[in-house]
Amino acid sequence: MYLASLSISEFRNFAEATILPDPTGTTVITGSNGAGKTSLLEAVGYLATLQSLRGSPKEAMVRIGAERAILRAVTMVGDRSMDIEAELAASGRSRTMVNRQTVRRRADLGEALRITVFSPDDIAVVRGGPAERRRFLDEALAVVAPKTTLHADETEKILRQRAALLRRAGKRLSPEVEATLDVWDARLDLAGTALVEAREALTEQLAPLAEQHYSRLAGKAVDVGLHYRRSWSGTLRDALAASRPDDLVRGITLVGPHRDELELTLSGLSGRTHTSQGEQRSMALALRLATHQLATERLGSAPVLLLDDVFSELDPYRTRALLEGLPPGQSILTTALPPPPEVAAATTYEVKPAGMVNALVSERGDG
Amino acid sequence: MGVFSGPLQSLIDELGRLPGIGPKSAQRITFHLLKVAPEDALRLAQSIIAVKERITLCTRCFNVAEGGLCAICLDDRRDITSVCVVEDPRDIVAVEKTGEFAGRYHVLQGALNPIEGIGPDQLRVRELLARLGEEGIAEVILCTNPNLEGEATAMYLARLLKPMGLVVTRIASGLPVGGDLEYADELTLGRALEGRRVIEA
Ligand SMILES: [Zn+2]
Repeated sequence: MYLASLSISEFRNFAEATILPDPTGTTVITGSNGAGKTSLLEAVGYLATLQSLRGSPKEAMVRIGAERAILRAVTMVGDRSMDIEAELAASGRSRTMVNRQTVRRRADLGEALRITVFSPDDIAVVRGGPAERRRFLDEALAVVAPKTTLHADETEKILRQRAALLRRAGKRLSPEVEATLDVWDARLDLAGTALVEAREALTEQLAPLAEQHYSRLAGKAVDVGLHYRRSWSGTLRDALAASRPDDLVRGITLVGPHRDELELTLSGLSGRTHTSQGEQRSMALALRLATHQLATERLGSAPVLLLDDVFSELDPYRTRALLEGLPPGQSILTTALPPPPEVAAATTYEVKPAGMVNALVSERGDG
Repeated sequence: MGVFSGPLQSLIDELGRLPGIGPKSAQRITFHLLKVAPEDALRLAQSIIAVKERITLCTRCFNVAEGGLCAICLDDRRDITSVCVVEDPRDIVAVEKTGEFAGRYHVLQGALNPIEGIGPDQLRVRELLARLGEEGIAEVILCTNPNLEGEATAMYLARLLKPMGLVVTRIASGLPVGGDLEYADELTLGRALEGRRVIEA
């Protein structure tokens, strides 16, 4: 699949902008820091995931003073042209349509646009807390197995309802609270178990790929471990029942998918605490490359690669290894510095601080 | 604080509190009302007053009614052995349009939603239980919305009602998940009603 065009209006600091990325090669977006290069990737990211890659609320992405931002992408999936249009409201409801059909949830976006994102923040997956690694898995699942986002969304909603119920109960288990809690637990058992099984299956598939990519980056065979650790044993239903008295006292749900951990190891040592920063960076890259490879295999074509200013953080050796590790396909990258020599830019755009986008001379050969 | 003062601003403020109406729309409607013929504006005001004064909730099923029982409860051709449980009176309109249901209704006036402080006590659950004893009801069709809160409410009720020896069914899946009954088309909702199944509790 590839992104044929992206048009945005009143988005971030852009009044209007259009880019036509190269279908099969690399499109480079240059410009000084703060000019808004990343906003272009964010627009692509929103159309693929219905959320900001930077975790911003929808209103924050609307240009200051404007009522709504409009994002529109045309993608080619096989020989089908797909039209994705999103309207972000400064206040009130935002909406998204795929081929003029309203889309309510991310799972309904279908195969219209799939992306893999590399960013300098990726290292948090290795170095940060367990929530970062769970998010990594859920994001990867959303690309590889989009239907699983239903379980993830439902699990999150149930946990919020359950927390509200526990707080309102005020540590007392009245028959009424007990009966309602039983219902939320039954729903959580279904959605949470489905989510965790999907995460475990994904972990198993990613592990050998991550090891291959890491070993290539390291230039030698390294034993890389990915292990999903549940925060409970037995069925989730029984675990929730056992944890209920503690949950009631603490006012939160102490077991479930939101307390699980994806354990990362290098040669048997914890990736989080017993590795160098360089190793952590390689590990983060290897995880992304593994996800991208798995998604490509599953979908039959590569997701669009978005590389957000990744070279600023990488040494020349890892840069080369990253570029060599990427399968052929469309990629869009932002960079403040001239891109590394290995990057064969087919198309280049320059973002000016005023929110203007200029197509620079196309360096594509004449064929 | 608004730009205008007196009755003009208070109308803008009141309209702005209505669902789906933002500050800009509120202002547009207000200035529209300022321009229309006095009798047109009065008719609108009187309709609002009439609704608030005359429309009540049905004393049996909590559908909208004009005092006492609603039109459906008053209709003696309805099958009194089956009752369809919905969240909102608007859902009755949706189910009626399908033509697939001839029994009576029970409107819960919401769904379980702890975040919004809605538990069984805030819903018309006790009233439903009372009706089951009195009216000779044999089947309860749980027609709450196919979203998380609606499904949880259906499960809660199923657990409560099944030990009473009733047939408790849930509308078939196939409705857009996460959606509202109100927006489901007649054909889809009709099929979901037809394909209802005894619910696992
Ligand atoms: Zn009635």
